[in-house]
Amino acid sequence: MTDTDRPTPGVGRRRFFQGAAGGAALGALAAGGTARAVSAQGATATSAEDDRELVDLTGQYRFFDQAHPPGVATLPQRHALYMTFDMVDGSTRAALQALLARWTAAISVLMAGRPIGQVRPSRDEAVGQDTGEAVGLAPATLTVTVGLGPGLFDQRFGLATHKPELLAALPQLPSDKLTPETTGGDLSLQVCSDDPQVSYHAVRNLARMARDTVATRWTVNGFGRASAGPGQQTPRNLLGFKDGTRNLRQPVELDQHVWLRDAGWMTGGTYQVVRKIQMTVETWDADRVSDQEQVIGRTKVEGAPLTGRQEFDAPDFAATGAGGQPVIDPQSHVALASPENNGGVTILRRGYNYTDGIDQYGQLDAGLLFIAYMNDPDSFVRLQRKLGASDALNEYISHVGSGIFAIPPTPASGHYIGEQLFT
Amino acid sequence: MRTSRTRLALTATAGLALLSVAACGSSGGSTSTTASSAGGSSAAPVSAGASQVAVALTSGSSGDTCQLDHAQAAAGPVTFTVTNKDAASLTEVELISDQRILGEKENLAPGLAPVSFTVTLGGGSYQLYCPGAATENLTFTVTGAPATSATGDAATLLAAGTKEYAAYAAQTLAGMQTAVGALETAVASGDVAAAKKQYALARPFYEKVESAVEGFVLPGTKPGDNKGNLDYLIDMRASTLDPAVGWHGFHAIERDLWRGGAITASTKAQAAQLRSDTAKLASLATALTYQPEDLANGAAGLLEEVQSNKIRGEEELYSHLDLVDFAANLEGAEQAFAFLKPGLSKLDPALTATVATQFDRVVASLQTYRDTSQVGGYAAWTPALRSTDAAALSKAVQALQDPLSQIAQKVATAQ
Repeated sequence: MTDTDRPTPGVGRRRFFQGAAGGAALGALAAGGTARAVSAQGATATSAEDDRELVDLTGQYRFFDQAHPPGVATLPQRHALYMTFDMVDGSTRAALQALLARWTAAISVLMAGRPIGQVRPSRDEAVGQDTGEAVGLAPATLTVTVGLGPGLFDQRFGLATHKPELLAALPQLPSDKLTPETTGGDLSLQVCSDDPQVSYHAVRNLARMARDTVATRWTVNGFGRASAGPGQQTPRNLLGFKDGTRNLRQPVELDQHVWLRDAGWMTGGTYQVVRKIQMTVETWDADRVSDQEQVIGRTKVEGAPLTGRQEFDAPDFAATGAGGQPVIDPQSHVALASPENNGGVTILRRGYNYTDGIDQYGQLDAGLLFIAYMNDPDSFVRLQRKLGASDALNEYISHVGSGIFAIPPTPASGHYIGEQLFT
Repeated sequence: MRTSRTRLALTATAGLALLSVAACGSSGGSTSTTASSAGGSSAAPVSAGASQVAVALTSGSSGDTCQLDHAQAAAGPVTFTVTNKDAASLTEVELISDQRILGEKENLAPGLAPVSFTVTLGGGSYQLYCPGAATENLTFTVTGAPATSATGDAATLLAAGTKEYAAYAAQTLAGMQTAVGALETAVASGDVAAAKKQYALARPFYEKVESAVEGFVLPGTKPGDNKGNLDYLIDMRASTLDPAVGWHGFHAIERDLWRGGAITASTKAQAAQLRSDTAKLASLATALTYQPEDLANGAAGLLEEVQSNKIRGEEELYSHLDLVDFAANLEGAEQAFAFLKPGLSKLDPALTATVATQFDRVVASLQTYRDTSQVGGYAAWTPALRSTDAAALSKAVQALQDPLSQIAQKVATAQ
């Protein structure tokens, strides 16, 4: 575990225990008597499981000199803001270089919980360098992950020879309902923290310092994490099901499936695929739960595969029921997405639930901001080709937004993200 | 944007204390110290005809620091070469004399190549100002004959620019009087089509200089009373309607012409009052003088107007002439910038170039809406057009607003 993955606890960090009475209240929803919940019940336990309910706003991550970029293996924080940008017409290679250098410096300061400049300038005629709304707030385990889109490596900036080997626009995939307003971008910022105001302050100030070089393209405000890291309780997406039970968790798995090796200046980095997945939650809510469980392939409360009893039981896709039919529908989400049925292909998911309010039809506009990391974007393409073509869940979801970005490795102190592009 | 300009009564001997708030910026909150580095006591070496001083920005245990390798130099050209080694919170270095900026570098960040600026200095004491550093001000001493006028150039050029701007504003208001007169004549004739045309011709004058004159009130007016507020009387609109005072000015006429489609006795009375209020405004404005930061803040204010009212279609609710106003706001802002440009480019050539580029981009964007078949010469800014085009225009304006908002502090400190 590196500094990138777990926060440095702040001075006087308080641990919150569920306590004798609280242990039972872990949540009828969540606990359900799993082995993991039981192990966390002791009032004096300080195992990793305790941290899953702990929100320590004083925690912070170091930015420079890490093996990997922040916000990937990092324990998923509670909130995310995702924003993409386009380079404005006529902006230059030098402007891109200055932007990456200034973003890098500012991100390191923001992650330390400090303003990026004077809030109240010493000169009366000056505008503030920092907008001020995070003054007095703790770092809140903020991470900012910078992504470089395929468009940066076109003819505009002379960077074609440095293009990350596997970075290319995603192909058209089955069931895609992408809208241009929520697709693509030359640059992206994934901003995660345990305090939405801290995240907003970060993205607002980063967008502001770059405004003569980049224009905002699209954004999604994720309000709750929908994937778990090691020791974290598996959270639920807006379908009400646990999401990411079989997510990658161990460093060795990340080395195998996420981090880039022998990839030149991208070594230690990764690729990010983001999808804005709209859910027709009201239609879903009108479906009987037994059918929902067939669609997903898991039980709703426990999250166990339909062939098992507990969440982390391995699904048995060969098991058949009374009528000889598979217990887990081959078109269920779990069956189609599982590594067993995809030649071992797997990706690190790091998604968040989002809402955009109410849509033009008067329906709740909500869904999953799917963010995934992998060392070969084709892993996502293979999975989504299959899911998009036949997932029983497609009746209730639409992929409306999309993006792919290279996530460069973290620079050493005194350097900036993507510096190798300009040498 | 509220400028620092105080409200001015019509009867007052206008022009005197108009700009009491135009503070010469006080630099940095922390105390000044001399450079503590080893090389600090010897004079900087001379090379390539200039004393060479290295400025290093580094991170330390007590915060980011700014250090000079030599705290002294002989009078003459001095080149400061700034390297940001690993000071993530420092982005700017300025050389200051008596709160005037003599030279500076912005957009500094670790990893970027060193940058330098050269200034010709006379004997005396200067400060290197590093906003955000553990010690923000470092003393830099120059030995030899004192300078005749270290920033005479920039300050003189800026002062000249303000006088030219005053002439531009007065000329614009004179043009407005003529145009409003023609509008009144057309309204009096009862010809709706002719009145619409004159309305579109008269609007831009006010929009070009609005931020410079919007603070005027009639004598004896209590603060907050719109009855005596000339900006209200001339340019109120539905979204700023004060029911106690009612409809007045341009937009009362616009409402009758476009929404009502007819000229009534009330329309004629409004046109006559607009003419009289415009005359009062023009006479007040002749007494105005400006400081450089007033031009900068005024330009910023005009772009705020574009962003808040024009792009949203709120200004010309009935006629949809918002792009005509937009063009006028933009021209007024660009003029103010143009008058600052000779002085500003001596102080901060990079910022000057950035703002100029962004002006060009906004002008080019707006140019695509030129339509000479329309009254006013621009496409009608209808809700349908706004829904497809407003976001891109808004972003272009914002990309201009941000660098433009940096100008005031630069020119204020150059006086």
